[in-house]
Amino acid sequence: MKRKGILLALFLAAFVFVSNSDVYGQSLAVGSTLEDFKLNDLSGKEQSFSGLKGKKGTVIIFLSAQCPVVKGYNERINQVAADYESKGISFIGINPNSATESVEWVKSEAEKVGYKFPVLLDVGAALADKMGATVTPEVYFFDTKNVLLYHGAIDNSRDGQNITSNYLRIAFDSSLAGKPIEKTKINAFGCSIKKKASEAKN
Amino acid sequence: MNKAVSKGTKTVFTGLVFVLLFSFGAFAQKKKPTPNRTPNPNLPKVTRIDEVSIKTVLKPNGKPLLVNFWATWCVPCIEEFPDLVKLDTEYKGKIDFITISLDDLAEINREVPKFLLDMKARMPAYLLRTADENAVITSITKDWQGGLPFTILYNEKGEIAYFVQNRVKPDILRAEIEKLLPKPAAQN
Repeated sequence: MKRKGILLALFLAAFVFVSNSDVYGQSLAVGSTLEDFKLNDLSGKEQSFSGLKGKKGTVIIFLSAQCPVVKGYNERINQVAADYESKGISFIGINPNSATESVEWVKSEAEKVGYKFPVLLDVGAALADKMGATVTPEVYFFDTKNVLLYHGAIDNSRDGQNITSNYLRIAFDSSLAGKPIEKTKINAFGCSIKKKASEAKN
Repeated sequence: MNKAVSKGTKTVFTGLVFVLLFSFGAFAQKKKPTPNRTPNPNLPKVTRIDEVSIKTVLKPNGKPLLVNFWATWCVPCIEEFPDLVKLDTEYKGKIDFITISLDDLAEINREVPKFLLDMKARMPAYLLRTADENAVITSITKDWQGGLPFTILYNEKGEIAYFVQNRVKPDILRAEIEKLLPKPAAQN
């Protein structure tokens, strides 16, 4: 009885701890399957994940029109997308910052950068919430069955200087060669996704 | 003879011209404005840390420890900073509060201390440079993916009491800090 009481107390303590911090939903775990989704592109046309999938894999990359880290990566993002498009891996850009970035702003930034892939608008960050995405830039790489193979950073250099680990390219090359991906989850500093207007204004 | 004198005079004259030109050049060089490499003594000190030394910095020293990860390029970080400075003033002596910037190393004597000075921030300030950001982020909490701003509160034992990614809500953070402070003795 006493043991049960201790266990219950531990359980409650754990619950209090978890609910005691402002965190988002759990991030989609590597090995999980992503359900199909539909979002509008920058021209207002509805697009689906299944309709944009690559023959050898698909990348969902969370972007921002204002984040300096994304701006620092844009050229590399376009380059890696171009390099692997021909190998069957498609990119889908997602802007989840409708709370702080207007459609016009996102459109204008996307045109300026000249993204080599479609950019979809995740109004209210519903998809980001579902996937547990919290930062830009943040990458999710799925195989042809929509199973998450790699999640996180593109490489280990925000400014593009002295890149020593090309995490995403390594994940692509391993997957294309049918080999297991050694590093499947890599975090990096970036800009928080503002999921609610209140987070930007409070 | 005359020829010899004339040759000697010519040599001396050429030498003088050369010396004069050289001196003028040196003088002109001295006059050329050089960048001021002396750090502004009024700028707050920002200490560089890495993935090893951050562990020491994150150890509480007998009091709760509040840590804010930020960068000058991060708009919400800059927006929330006045609230953090107010909290620091409010809880001075009751908790320790440090800030850790993720700016480029080049900013350690420039934009970072300049911003801290503008904000009148007195918290000990650090700048983290590491080749392995993933290791640092993961070591802090598995629930953080690296988005800034990020604020974390430790109790005096070094256990995580609260953390928030994105802008802090001062009232919520204040309530979390209060939970860690010793309760005033009840009066009879």
